[in-house]
Amino acid sequence: MSTLVKVPLRYRIPWKKIVLYVLAVAFALYLVLPFYWIVAMSFMHEVDAISVPPHWIPVHPTLENYLGFLHPNEAQQLVGGRAIDETPYSLRNSLIVATSTAILNLVLATFAAYSFSRLKFRGSQVLLMLYLLTRMVPGIAIIIPFYLLMRTFGLLDTYLALILSYTTFALPITIWILKDFFRSVPRELEEAARVDRCGWFRTMWSVFLPVAAPGLVAAAVFAFMTAWNEFMFALFLTSTKAAKTIPVVAANFATDFNTQFTVMASAGVLAVVPPLVLALLFQRKLVQGMAAGSVKG
Amino acid sequence: MAVLAERRPLGDNAKAWALNAPAMIVIALLVAYPIAYSFWVSLQKNNLKRPRAKEFIGFANYQALLSDHAFLSALKVSALFVVVVLGLTVVLALILALVLNEQFRGRGLLLSLALLPWAMPGVVNGLMWRTIFDAKTGALNGLLTQLGLIDEYHAWLTSGTGAFLFTALAQVWNTLPFSVIILLAGLSTIPSELYDAATVDRAGAVQRFVQVTLPWLLHPLLIVLILETMNAFRAFDTIYVLTGGGPGDATTTIALLDVQTVLTFTDFGLGSAYAWVITAITLLISVGYIGLLYRKGNFEV
Repeated sequence: MSTLVKVPLRYRIPWKKIVLYVLAVAFALYLVLPFYWIVAMSFMHEVDAISVPPHWIPVHPTLENYLGFLHPNEAQQLVGGRAIDETPYSLRNSLIVATSTAILNLVLATFAAYSFSRLKFRGSQVLLMLYLLTRMVPGIAIIIPFYLLMRTFGLLDTYLALILSYTTFALPITIWILKDFFRSVPRELEEAARVDRCGWFRTMWSVFLPVAAPGLVAAAVFAFMTAWNEFMFALFLTSTKAAKTIPVVAANFATDFNTQFTVMASAGVLAVVPPLVLALLFQRKLVQGMAAGSVKG
Repeated sequence: MAVLAERRPLGDNAKAWALNAPAMIVIALLVAYPIAYSFWVSLQKNNLKRPRAKEFIGFANYQALLSDHAFLSALKVSALFVVVVLGLTVVLALILALVLNEQFRGRGLLLSLALLPWAMPGVVNGLMWRTIFDAKTGALNGLLTQLGLIDEYHAWLTSGTGAFLFTALAQVWNTLPFSVIILLAGLSTIPSELYDAATVDRAGAVQRFVQVTLPWLLHPLLIVLILETMNAFRAFDTIYVLTGGGPGDATTTIALLDVQTVLTFTDFGLGSAYAWVITAITLLISVGYIGLLYRKGNFEV
């Protein structure tokens, strides 16, 4: 067989492809370079990080910025010592607060979302709209009463105050996401369980929820990220390392005039890693949830 | 049989409300009550540092807003901020979504990268851009100098206009992915036959975009407009860290002013009045949003 060479009659410059790839590369750089810069800085010595012209790659890579959070050296203690000291605690606090928020949310939202996906009831539309409406209430509008309320109950600077407030933020979204996921679970499963004379709770626990698990995970991740990233309420409600979350401490670095850029960058990177890892791990489910609900406000 | 059919809806009703009770109690206690209470506080002279001077003053706090320079300036800054951020976000998000809607090598990677800004806490976004925009050592200065675009390092954030624009850019980077995802979801619902038909009709790329893509994207675009308006209007984290509202009050948005009033001056009465103005504006926007969802039928239960 002779080789079949497809000779185009007229060579056409593939403009569409070229434009597409140029745009794709430009966007990729736009999305990744800013973040790359703080990651690179976090592995530099301060001298290299503030050099002119800048070093784009750490020339003398070091872990001292990260290790400094555990054992700050003298220079680090001098500049921004308090924020450095608070960083490990704040990471722990953020982890506890965000995880608790995710769990509490899941419990409350599962009940509500189930009712919207399986039961026909009067007022369901209004209720669903009310949930959405509470999401629209700006945090700043409830922060003062919330602060006074927490002060009255002696809950300032505690995990509970943060968990409660973040739960109210995340609950409407979680309900919306879950109701969509629950609808996609086939009803026949529950009916089969009912025929087997399983009670409602038993049916939920051992039949319905396992099938809906991916949706539950996505909703939990949403709630976790909401809690992890929140700043304004944490700024009002916390004051010491007992409850300060990582955004509050990271902001302390930024507002401190003689902060080292490298330490600030490292704290920033540490604050991004958990939500980033979750976002990448659950990419598809999150994108689905975001698109379906369109409710992250 | 007839009895069962009649009884079931009733049972559903009770069951549904019971299932919603926990969420409703939490929301009533932690959102509805505070928001009502904050209205009550906004009608008071209420400063934490002067607890004895607390008194009911009706709408005096609101009246004061009309001649409150800080408030009027913040309102203006917020409005401008919304316009700039929204304009940039929509244009960039639309282009990125159109790119991601095509098939090409590395598409998955680009989609993952697009989630990066979304995962980033606003505070970190602020401090990241601070290191980039820095006048003496920033990456932006370094890059532009090395590319030969500028001769010497500039202090990007010291002029009012500069600070405002660069803050808006930082905000756009952070909020872009959300819009991209909504638009991408919208794009993926467009039937490919429509494009085929348009191609047969010898419609050019621009024509195809205007006649096929845009009409289909109208609804997702509206959602993006509304949600991003709300986001930009309440923007706080990034601005707080990047400029702290300065220089002067060039980047002091209404949210920033409110937090300063409450946190620094502990003026809870005035702060609540600010907050209620923000709430009123936001609610107006969200009523539009919910109406839109309703009409489009996304709201069936």
